[in-house]
Amino acid sequence: MPGLKGRVVGQHWYTPYVFMLPGLLFYAAMFAWPAVIAIQLAFSDYDIVHPVRFTGLDNFVRLAEDPRVWIALRNSLLFVLMFLPLTVVAPLFLAMLVNLKLRAIQAFRMLYYLPVITSMVAVAVAWRYVFNREGVVNWVLGLFGAAPTDFLLDRHWALPTVVLLEAWKNAGLFMMIYLAGLQAVPSDQLEAATIDGASGWQRLLHVVVPSLRPTFAVTLVLSMLEAMRAFESVYVLTRGGPLDSTLTLGYYIWSKAFEDYDMGYASAVGLLLWAIMIVLAGFNLLVTRRRDV
Amino acid sequence: MARRLYRPQRRLSVKRIGLYVLLVAVAALFIGPFLILLSAATKPASQDVFGFPPDLIPRPPVADWFREAWTTIPYARFLVNSVIYVGITVPVYLVVSALTAYPLARIAFRGRGVFFMLFLSIMFLPGELMLIPRFLVMSELGLTDTFASVILPAILSSLGIFLLRQAFSQIPDEIVEAARVDGANEFAIFWRICVPIVAPTLAVLAILGFVSVWNSFIWPLVVLTSQSKFPIALGIAYLSGVAGTDVRGLAAGTVISLIPVVVVFLLLQKRILNSMGGAVKG
Repeated sequence: MPGLKGRVVGQHWYTPYVFMLPGLLFYAAMFAWPAVIAIQLAFSDYDIVHPVRFTGLDNFVRLAEDPRVWIALRNSLLFVLMFLPLTVVAPLFLAMLVNLKLRAIQAFRMLYYLPVITSMVAVAVAWRYVFNREGVVNWVLGLFGAAPTDFLLDRHWALPTVVLLEAWKNAGLFMMIYLAGLQAVPSDQLEAATIDGASGWQRLLHVVVPSLRPTFAVTLVLSMLEAMRAFESVYVLTRGGPLDSTLTLGYYIWSKAFEDYDMGYASAVGLLLWAIMIVLAGFNLLVTRRRDV
Repeated sequence: MARRLYRPQRRLSVKRIGLYVLLVAVAALFIGPFLILLSAATKPASQDVFGFPPDLIPRPPVADWFREAWTTIPYARFLVNSVIYVGITVPVYLVVSALTAYPLARIAFRGRGVFFMLFLSIMFLPGELMLIPRFLVMSELGLTDTFASVILPAILSSLGIFLLRQAFSQIPDEIVEAARVDGANEFAIFWRICVPIVAPTLAVLAILGFVSVWNSFIWPLVVLTSQSKFPIALGIAYLSGVAGTDVRGLAAGTVISLIPVVVVFLLLQKRILNSMGGAVKG
């Protein structure tokens, strides 16, 4: 470990703190202070107009009895369930594709990565043209005899469409994570398997997947957290509708806070989401730790 | 060549064409929506935006809708605002992150691990959950609806500190020791020796910072009320409200907003792509 040898010339006991001072100030002002406020507000009925009034556990009682919280929670979990295969499994195949030693492969990597760097607002606008009643998707489905659907206005299709958009936008990022993992797969093992006559699928299942285990751990956590807090896509595509069918916890918090100005209650729902995310992350950590040892 | 022994060349070339077909098909999936957007933005008024079968080639391509989008909303203002937000945020972000990461990597002090965990905990305070309390902090500080309110929360990120700590700790001890022998103080070692060495990591963070500030939407929406301070992504949302059902103007406005990010990406893509996987993997 570099730099762990004790004090050297030019260093005082306060040197590291002087370096970290700006970072610590920003941390205090933009993370610690807001986090404390968020917890305080969750136990209040703050509404922006009236001063903060503490109401004990009222918000949490209300939360337990609020049917829309349960709808939002169910939608968020459904979001995770649909999102995981699309971001943990599908991008692995993308990564294998762009890991081929072919001319111009870098250009394809770039194209697949493009949605990652574009704004969610712009992406949502583009998707409205694609999933419109008279858009390309309906035309393709029409070729197979399906009647046109208003994907974002249909109670059953809206959530899967939003999930698909999020997965599409993030696919390139997950692809690059897998690509880094793939390039670390021991090539002698792959060659040995090929010589032993293993088919492509056998090599994938018995050589590639086991050696990607740490990468899977990373993508699983990222994917779950991303799905759990899905909000911007919902905001720009459906505003939680139709009939609450895309109401996620993230969107519910937003709408309670900034549409109803019910900030105390919104903060309580925020704590619920926060708790779920920490449990999910902790659970992931436990599972992956145990396997790695 | 020894390699040829294992790979029959003729079958390979057929396979190769098949792979390119697959690569192009997948590419269509990822850039298709942008092409449809571009097509809607450049079609003349006489040509339908939608319809079966889709008619994507504009005949002839026109610039009318770009002009329209540009004049319907204060587009230039939004672009300038975004440039200001990026121009201030990214350098400050880099300096603060480097200063914070340096002692975590290279100075022995009590509680170093605790401080590192503290900064990593940012990861578990996602922006979405911080909207309400940060909004209140900003009103407490009297900063709502200012440029500062948009910039301040973007100055610190766990990724920046994490990556720079990695980069700083990989610098060989000998280089630093040589400078110490010459009598350089810690700040000089940081600024004149270590910062130039981690320049590639700083470049990656600069690009990621640029992309994230350029695309930021929700936080500015919460904290800004005057349209004159809107960044470009908020401008697009505003345009979609103002333009209502004008699908062509909205498409054109969206295309304009994408240009700077795409250009930066094309120029620096190699660096971004090479680092991204490793970066996230840590």
